[in-house]
Amino acid sequence: MSVRLLPVDPSDQGSQRCRMGPALMSALGLSLGSPLLISFPRGSCLCTAWPRTDLAEGFLQTDLKVSSPSLMSHPPTQLQMDHSKITPVTCSILRCVKTTVIVGSVEFKKRTPSRLIHELVKDMLKGLYVQTTFVVNLEDFDTDIKYVVIEDIKSDSVSGGLITSKTGLEIVGILTARYYNSQLQNQNMVPLGGLEEVSASLKEILQLPLLYPGTLTSLCVTCPRGVLLVGPPGVGKTQLIHKVTGEVGASLVVTRGPEVVGSRPGESEEKLRAVFERARFAAEEGPCVLFLDELDSLCPKRTSSSAPENRLVAQLLTLMDGVDQSDRFLVVGATNRPDSLDPALRRPGRFDREVIIGPPTVQQRKAILTVLCAGMPVCPSVDMAELAQQTTGYVGADLSALCREAAMNAIREDNKYLREQTIGMKHFQEALKVVLPSCLRGSLGRTELSPVSWEQIGGLDEVKFKLRQSVEWPMRYPEAFVRMGLHRPRGVLLYGPPGCAKTTLVRAVASSSHCAFLSVSGADLYSPYVGDSEKALAQLFHQARACAPSILFLDEIDSLISSRSSANGTNSAHTRLLSVLLNEMDGIGLKTVERRGAKVLQAEGVEEGHALEKMDHQEVCNKDVMVIAATNRPECLDSALLRPGRLDHIIYIPPPDQQARLCILKVCTESMPLGPDVCLEELVEKTELYSGADLQNLCKEAALLALQEENLEASALKHRYFVQALSRMRPSLTEQQINSYQKTPR
Amino acid sequence: MSSPALPLIHQALRKSFQRLESSQKVWASVLAECSPLIASVGNLAEQLRALSSLHLPSTPLNVFPDLEDRLRFKLLHAVDTALVRLNEQMCSLQSVRDSFSNQVSAVFQLYEQNRDSLDASTVMERSAMAPSICDMMGWLQDAEHHYRQQFVRRKALLQTLRADELSLLESSPKRWKSLESPSMEENITDALDKVSFFIEE
Repeated sequence: MSVRLLPVDPSDQGSQRCRMGPALMSALGLSLGSPLLISFPRGSCLCTAWPRTDLAEGFLQTDLKVSSPSLMSHPPTQLQMDHSKITPVTCSILRCVKTTVIVGSVEFKKRTPSRLIHELVKDMLKGLYVQTTFVVNLEDFDTDIKYVVIEDIKSDSVSGGLITSKTGLEIVGILTARYYNSQLQNQNMVPLGGLEEVSASLKEILQLPLLYPGTLTSLCVTCPRGVLLVGPPGVGKTQLIHKVTGEVGASLVVTRGPEVVGSRPGESEEKLRAVFERARFAAEEGPCVLFLDELDSLCPKRTSSSAPENRLVAQLLTLMDGVDQSDRFLVVGATNRPDSLDPALRRPGRFDREVIIGPPTVQQRKAILTVLCAGMPVCPSVDMAELAQQTTGYVGADLSALCREAAMNAIREDNKYLREQTIGMKHFQEALKVVLPSCLRGSLGRTELSPVSWEQIGGLDEVKFKLRQSVEWPMRYPEAFVRMGLHRPRGVLLYGPPGCAKTTLVRAVASSSHCAFLSVSGADLYSPYVGDSEKALAQLFHQARACAPSILFLDEIDSLISSRSSANGTNSAHTRLLSVLLNEMDGIGLKTVERRGAKVLQAEGVEEGHALEKMDHQEVCNKDVMVIAATNRPECLDSALLRPGRLDHIIYIPPPDQQARLCILKVCTESMPLGPDVCLEELVEKTELYSGADLQNLCKEAALLALQEENLEASALKHRYFVQALSRMRPSLTEQQINSYQKTPR
Repeated sequence: MSSPALPLIHQALRKSFQRLESSQKVWASVLAECSPLIASVGNLAEQLRALSSLHLPSTPLNVFPDLEDRLRFKLLHAVDTALVRLNEQMCSLQSVRDSFSNQVSAVFQLYEQNRDSLDASTVMERSAMAPSICDMMGWLQDAEHHYRQQFVRRKALLQTLRADELSLLESSPKRWKSLESPSMEENITDALDKVSFFIEE
């Protein structure tokens, strides 16, 4: 049996009545005006039973005058309701009730004597049935007293009770509605994953002066007043603040940078002062955090000209200095461009502490994914650790987009069986193709990479093995490297004659090692402005580090960077780029803003501990970026670049020998309909000095020839076409060229 | 068929509605007495503002010594008197409200005591002569709520008035007027009309 929920009648507003059909009333054993409890999914409300004026059955209209706080902020939206959700309650007359009064404005709270508030509240509460922790909505009285929270009731062993004129009223506190609402909102915050460490340190700063004010004053310590959160976009700076303030129970005053800026001169400063004033008001009621989001737009570096921003910056500085110890509020700024802030802002006394939140590491990503998927019907076969490993360079926002996309995929796949639908690994894999890491968004090196398997490259087994050893192993089996005390190679140089699959090999490496892949060529880096290319290269390394483990591929490195000893002059762009590259590969350390999540203290689990340990190894080994360079002119490279510690593995990719050529031809002709007379071995004999690319071209020519001779109706490739094509072609390699590669470049 | 408690309840309801009728008259007359008082408060506030914006020594009135202070004292005194009289009126409103709500709670108590002997159909039975018990109790509760709401609103308004905040004083007649809720008054009149046969019975 269910009833339809209707909105409450205007004449019943504020009467605590619940209108229902008479039959339902007698079925539930209710008489006129007897109290009942109605449970909604979000909370419950207490009201009195009344029959509908038209005595119709099957409808329910309830006035939410007395309800649980969660129901107050989110009124029920459902349309149908079951009878079992309505339960009669027994209520006795209350002797005493303890309440907190929520008023509309601070002025009312300050000006009105508590005696008057007591009198008014007592008048308003008369005749109501209440329960502990419930909130009474008094907005229909149209005064500045908005709500009353029932903190405690004194009655004889029942949960609810009736307030009469004889009930004693005790007011334990008076709060403003703004403060109360912010506290209510904080209660239903979603948990954040992977930011435990940062949030713990923030919480400490917030709680210390509140919990131990005496200790701090006796030690003559001034508490920090400002915290600057630095981190790339999407790592959850804003969410973190919301969550921490919620947990500490502090109220939050949020100001986004651009909101403050006005058009008239002096307007922005005025708004900024008003914001601080608001925070000061809020701090009178309890701990308060003033959050300045996008601080870089509010407080850019001051320039010498008298720009209007300069005044705003000066105003912010003086306001921050003006916050004295008696104002119990903390200023938190968040930015993703800390370098563009005015340096005066970043000294102790203003923003004392800087908290850096980097892109999440594997473990943090796992934690974030676990939190995000907690509410989703995720198939148990989905391995969060595996998913975390595949999402290098994803920040929190990306991961939530990923989960959303995966859920959308699941819905699109089959919306008929939506109820039993679960999100499987394949949906996540699909979503991974659509959602790309935002660290790499706008990066010049981002490449769409169609995966290439090792089998698609013919021959070169020795080279493949070496590559896997130097690139794939450290990425995949870091624990073995740690055990043997090995360091991961920092860079690999591939050299060899043109057309021998250097680039294709790199693609295969990238697709087999599951990490972010950035590729850059000379054209991307060149710019007519002095210093621009160097900056672009440094930026590229920065981004690669942000989404480490990653592979940075420099194709045709000789065109990018030539030897310093060559005749180009010592101060050309080439040499400057070289010095940037040398520094980035083997520099003295990381910039502080590039710091990423540190290790979290972990419990001593047995199996779980082992898995974590494995991930830990991965973190240790994958701190850096692996550089892979390819060239066909190794003699042009600077010797400093080739020493161990920079490009330590130097791999020669030889022109294909007989066996390799056979493999290549087999791979190339795999999709072609070969005639029975085709003898690949014979072709191999005849193609001495042909490179891989030449062989591919040969197959293509032969196929075209077949189409040409047999008028587009050819169904099989005959051997003579290969021979014919071969007679028209010249090998691209020469004996002399190959010999020149024989001596190692180092 | 009909329970022995029914005549008792009917009797109590009849009494309550008679009380409501008389209360309604008293309530209206008290409010009518209030309106000139509150209007004079607004008026006095305007005079006070005019006084503070005027520079008396530069007018022909400068021959009178400390005229400004005397005038201010007089005006403030008048405001005070008006407010005191308003508060007295509030007391009579309160007594109306209290006696009526006592009457209503007595009806509810009587119902509580006899609710086992009254089945749902009796409570909800309507006839040509009389509305159902349930409807009448609802109207009584509505009226009681209305009196309580009106009283709280007016009291809150009066209590926030202070002589040093002219703008509040000035706007008080307008706000006093806005507190009236004609729809609720209409509901009460409607209810009284509906029970007129029942009362005369």
